[in-house]
Amino acid sequence: MSKEFTNYRFHVTRRHFLGKVSLGLGSVALGSLLIPDLFSSSNEATQSLGLPQFAPKAKRIIYLFQNGAPSQLESFDYKPLLNKMTGEELPASIRMGQRLTGMTSGQEKFPLVGSHFKFNQYGKSGAWVSEMFPNIAKVVDDICIIKSMHTEAINHDPALTFMQTGAQQGNRPSMGAWLSYGLGSENKNLPAYCVLLSRGRGNGQGVYSKLWTNGFLDSVHQGVQFSSSEERVLYLRDPEGRDRTDRRNMLDQLAQLNALNYKEFGDPEIQARVQQYEMAYRMQTAVPELTDLTKEPDNIVKMYGADCLMPGTYAANCLLARKLSEAGVRFVQLYHQGWDQHGNMVGEMPLQAQDVDRSTAALIMDLKQRGLLDETLVIWGGEFGRTNYCQGDLSKENYGRDHHPRAYTIWMAGGGVKPGIVYGETDEFGYNIVKDPVHVNDFHATILHLMGLNHEQLTYKHLGRRYRLTDVAGKVVPGILV
Amino acid sequence: MKRTASLVINITLFIQILLLFLLFFADRIELPAWLQVAGRLHPMVLHLPIGFLFFLFVLIVIRKTFRRKQFQKTLLVSLMLTALSTSVTALFGFFLSVQGDYDLDALYWHRLSGAILSFIAFFLLVWYQNVKKGEVVFYIFILAPITEVSAKKLSIETSTLYEIAVSPILEKKCFSCHNERKAKGKLIMTSIEKFKLGGENGVPWVAGNPDSSRMIHYIHLPLSDDNHMPPDGKPQLTVDEIFILESWIRSGADFDKRLAEYSETDTLRKWSTAKMNTLNVSSIEMVYSFSSVSQEVIENLNTPFRTVTPLYVNSSAVQVDYFLRDAYKPNSLLELKEIEDQLVNLSLSKMPVADDQLKIIERFKNLEKLNLNFTDITGATLADLMSLKNLKSLSLSGTSVTSEQIKPLLDLPSLHELFIWNTKVTEEEAVELAKDYPKVEIIYSLFTDSSMLRLTKPLLVNEGIIKSGGAIELKHSMPGVSTYYTLNGTLPDTVDGIVYKTPIPAKETVKLMAIACKEGWFCSSPFEITCFVNGIAPKDVELLLPADQQYPGLGASSLTDEKKGFIDIQKESSWLAFRDNNFEAGFSFGDNPPALNKIVISYGDNLGSYIFPPTDVEVWGGTDRSHLKLIKEVKVKQPTAYRPQRVDAIAVSIDPSNHAYYKIVAKPVSKLPAWHSGKGKNGWFFVDEVFFY
Repeated sequence: MSKEFTNYRFHVTRRHFLGKVSLGLGSVALGSLLIPDLFSSSNEATQSLGLPQFAPKAKRIIYLFQNGAPSQLESFDYKPLLNKMTGEELPASIRMGQRLTGMTSGQEKFPLVGSHFKFNQYGKSGAWVSEMFPNIAKVVDDICIIKSMHTEAINHDPALTFMQTGAQQGNRPSMGAWLSYGLGSENKNLPAYCVLLSRGRGNGQGVYSKLWTNGFLDSVHQGVQFSSSEERVLYLRDPEGRDRTDRRNMLDQLAQLNALNYKEFGDPEIQARVQQYEMAYRMQTAVPELTDLTKEPDNIVKMYGADCLMPGTYAANCLLARKLSEAGVRFVQLYHQGWDQHGNMVGEMPLQAQDVDRSTAALIMDLKQRGLLDETLVIWGGEFGRTNYCQGDLSKENYGRDHHPRAYTIWMAGGGVKPGIVYGETDEFGYNIVKDPVHVNDFHATILHLMGLNHEQLTYKHLGRRYRLTDVAGKVVPGILV
Repeated sequence: MKRTASLVINITLFIQILLLFLLFFADRIELPAWLQVAGRLHPMVLHLPIGFLFFLFVLIVIRKTFRRKQFQKTLLVSLMLTALSTSVTALFGFFLSVQGDYDLDALYWHRLSGAILSFIAFFLLVWYQNVKKGEVVFYIFILAPITEVSAKKLSIETSTLYEIAVSPILEKKCFSCHNERKAKGKLIMTSIEKFKLGGENGVPWVAGNPDSSRMIHYIHLPLSDDNHMPPDGKPQLTVDEIFILESWIRSGADFDKRLAEYSETDTLRKWSTAKMNTLNVSSIEMVYSFSSVSQEVIENLNTPFRTVTPLYVNSSAVQVDYFLRDAYKPNSLLELKEIEDQLVNLSLSKMPVADDQLKIIERFKNLEKLNLNFTDITGATLADLMSLKNLKSLSLSGTSVTSEQIKPLLDLPSLHELFIWNTKVTEEEAVELAKDYPKVEIIYSLFTDSSMLRLTKPLLVNEGIIKSGGAIELKHSMPGVSTYYTLNGTLPDTVDGIVYKTPIPAKETVKLMAIACKEGWFCSSPFEITCFVNGIAPKDVELLLPADQQYPGLGASSLTDEKKGFIDIQKESSWLAFRDNNFEAGFSFGDNPPALNKIVISYGDNLGSYIFPPTDVEVWGGTDRSHLKLIKEVKVKQPTAYRPQRVDAIAVSIDPSNHAYYKIVAKPVSKLPAWHSGKGKNGWFFVDEVFFY
């Protein structure tokens, strides 16, 4: 085997050799002439930038991802016309030959179907909210509903990956990793990017660690997934029979050994390692204090709902997200699974809504009453929308909806976003966007803007070119900014 | 020729830059050995430029004897040779100079003059090259990076719309031909005064009427038209840019109107604001009158528990956040003295800040946002904050301040939000305060729901199989909850249920039902689970009929390995599944068989996935596999509708017996019932464990 490696190393073409030698020797010559570390401090690729580029509106983000794509037509995008036309065929003039998923492209008919759930107007803004979300309806004047989101992907995994990383293939850093890279951690005792998972009672779709990956960024920017069990961060407890003093002594001794090593070799990685040990030591105190939800007062428990004390529920994750965010975690990412209602919309969606409605609204109110909402950006939404026509059999009692990337609804609150407005519009069939479309890239650009970063300037050089979260597209959406 | 010339120019330019560099950093350079050779060539190479310079001189003297074209060519070649050789000589000379012990003073001048000569030769070449072209493009290239781009700070309040939106477009697309030096069509756009005078055809716009404006007219001409602007081959205006120019003219082509003076609904204003916010980063800067502190001071103030950062890059304002209550030290705030002017944003949330420390905070006179949530302050010294004239936002949630104590603070001139949720202020007092001080937004409490909620179910602590003689442990995550349970399959309530105090001893598999209750809440819905308890383990197990190939488990051993399967993960070694044939397994208990009276089969119940309970279960007993008789046969109740998926138990009581060998047969559903979506098809039977008691 070693022979192959040697051969491989010798495998150089003449052109390659000459190119390397001429450039190489030239740069060696210049380099050896100059002071060795004259330029090394400007090595942007290995250092995170650490500060906003301009005054940020938001310092932290809590992203309540509704995985599986909740139907916009049953939640915030009220389309009475669909109720009138239920059972009638989707006009070709509306569909305009747009592609469908393999799940419904074979259907002979595309009967329109209206929402089974009633809508009402709420708040000063008079926004329409479905009866399944009575608590979110109460905070509607604090949120900004965007009805004109659109994406390029039509299936869960690429769409989800697109929403989270700005690319449909999963090899790019996620939004949280970019923010960690761009802004660093506010609280040095906790990771900058935390991930919390929960599972609802509807038809679910998977989430994978590629959604909170650091991609090509340094691995410190990766999202830290909290466990759904009682011990939210694993391997943080001291072993039985050992207490904090033992740990401290151990670290002190270790630090001395490391200091000797550092003196001898001068490798900065040694220092980095020592710092990581110290951070882990501090996390041993910081994390249990944070993740202990039982000390929350009764009125908070009531506000988030009784579920919030059960580890692994969406409500518990909302409460934990508030605590993490309050403690300076830059980006808290929640995923709530179970929103993929291809069939049984009537049966499943109320259960899903019930799981998230109360605690989501509680999170908004809780942040607000602590004076944190104006510096925390809360985002609620899925990866795409659902079709205005029925998938499968349309009956009086039940129906389903397929994936619809042309138009969907998300909402944001706090952190520099205009409260109490509805942005963008879809046609009366809820199929196409007719006003102020917001592409996923625009969404990313806007989020970075709110955090004080110019999406065109937050770059990282990888494989010979500079990458951005928005890659080569994206425009900030001024209409939703305060 | 052209290519050679540009190649030579580039090489010499590179050497010039290198020379310049070496000139400044001469004392910090160590020469590698192989370059020393080049240095020693200096005295030899030196003769080349002398020769070329002399030749150049002669050439100019006798230029009359050449034809014009010929002369130009020769001159260019000799200039090239001169420039190249001079710079190479200078470079080599430099290499030599670092090696030997030369008189430093003399060396300095020698070096400098060598470099200057080389620069002159290079510039001569460049100059000549450009004189020939008749353009000065190259100069512009050379000088471009040196010209300082004076970035102007823009803001909605003080900048004109022209500055923000219109001028950048003209700068990008028009200035290159319509400037002081070039002024095509005698139109100068670079200064507002001259732009207003117009060009040879007059002023290029008619205020309020884009359609009759010459400028717009030219823009809309077809690209092939000679009058089209910008001319073919130059960067063209985008649709957005044309829209801006037109809207600006339509709104009166005003150079002085500030952006803020346009109506908020004006598209032009909206567009310009957006553009400013996204492109012009400096526009969103907040201006502070205080000076900034050094990076070093800020770095030194950072600890793992106190984060000190500027608001953003190059901002003079600083924010400070404290973390971890245990790590907070009372004198920590005193250490911020160095940044007391710059501190605008301070968060002490959850820190044990005592009343007397507000005296320190008082010194941060530029403070705009202060977060004292859940600190230990009592409010007695809140008056200390009265000197914070710039304070805009104050959070006191979770402290024990009273309405009387906060009242004076509401007179703070800049204050516009106050958070007093979860304090001693009562709701009536908060309403009163809000009425008296309409300028300040007072956030008291947002949650008003007084309806009763249902508790969550109790939880089982020890999941999986309970060891024989073990106990079932329950818990509830909410403090102060009472749990009631039954083991007989009936619904527990607060009267009939047994109050859970200590773990419930379990001898054999039982069906547990439990509810949680607490005053002020509805009791939880019942928690139902079958708790499996380890029984008497058989000596040997065998499968008499094979499991389905898709779900073979680990063969017969899966039945007694004390590992439970998960209901939603079917492809896993705990599960054995049967569809085409019956489940038939033999269990032998050896020479001294124990007395048994109950057999429990743990099976999967997941109707949506076609996984059903078996229809019949038979228990056979005897001495070995071939000498058996039927002891018991039970029909299993079949489901009549979909139900939640779960792992359940089929308990078969038998007359006390002590056979050496038992055979258990379970028959999968052969035809799924009519209400099921797979009606008529085969059903599955999933089994993970068999227990004997």
